[in-house]
Amino acid sequence: MPKKSVVPQGKKSVPARREEYSPFGLLRQEMNRLFDNFLGGFEMQPFMGRRLGEFSPTVDITESDKAFRVSAELPGMEDKDIDVLLNKESITIKGEKKEEKEDKGKDYYHVERSYGSFSRTIPLPAEVDTDKVKAEFKKGLLTVTLPKTVQAIKQTKKIPVKTE
Amino acid sequence: MADLPQDMQKREAGPTEKGERTRERNMYTPAVDIMERKDDIVLLADMPGVDETSVDITLEKNVLTIYGKVAEEIHSGYTLYLSEYGSGDYQRVFTLTEEVDREKIRATVKNGVLRLVLPKAEAVKTRKIEVKGEA
Repeated sequence: MPKKSVVPQGKKSVPARREEYSPFGLLRQEMNRLFDNFLGGFEMQPFMGRRLGEFSPTVDITESDKAFRVSAELPGMEDKDIDVLLNKESITIKGEKKEEKEDKGKDYYHVERSYGSFSRTIPLPAEVDTDKVKAEFKKGLLTVTLPKTVQAIKQTKKIPVKTE
Repeated sequence: MADLPQDMQKREAGPTEKGERTRERNMYTPAVDIMERKDDIVLLADMPGVDETSVDITLEKNVLTIYGKVAEEIHSGYTLYLSEYGSGDYQRVFTLTEEVDREKIRATVKNGVLRLVLPKAEAVKTRKIEVKGEA
């Protein structure tokens, strides 16, 4: 392990507390410290549960009456590395997050980011007009807009609620 | 806290990391890789949603702070169906040792990844010492 020249901060810094002069404040401070230490133990590995080379993007899905929008966080990827596949019932986002070539053979001493290939399939709850689907990749965010078919929009009926 | 999702890419900042905020937004700690080359140290931070105009890097004494401001996503007419990643700003603080040449730090942002190149100071660069045979 080489000596670290850049050290991530945060775990050890203690926020300023104002109650330290009252007797209860001292007790509270001590309790807080205990909890911080206890919880701090869990945060030892902030990205635990994830092994190196595993990569699965997180997605947000929003819906309007006319379209669905699927967005995924894909930092460090190029648009050419991303495939968006569509069929009747689902949309698949596939790709590979590559390690930068020029960075290979370096001495890593802090690794949290992940690399590797991934594939995510998201079922679509209504029919989508496949010809009008648009995908955009900007600032590491992929946004796919999937307009619903005219039929699917029509199928949504408003049912009047009546009182007897 | 107990079970973190398997595919977590960014972590919500804890109270010690974010300090007191003046903006009503979530704060995330970006995942970083740090690696060392012969003459410099490279830091990569995943900050999706950030571009060169919205990232701030400050160096105060030996404390390097990276801060990325993410524009609020506007989904007018859209309702949220599934949300796996939250949208918010990024911040992370690092302590630099004397080894880094403060004047020559360079930063670039590409596809939501911040790349910081921290050149080593002349004094600490690895040098090869020639071994001579005695005459």
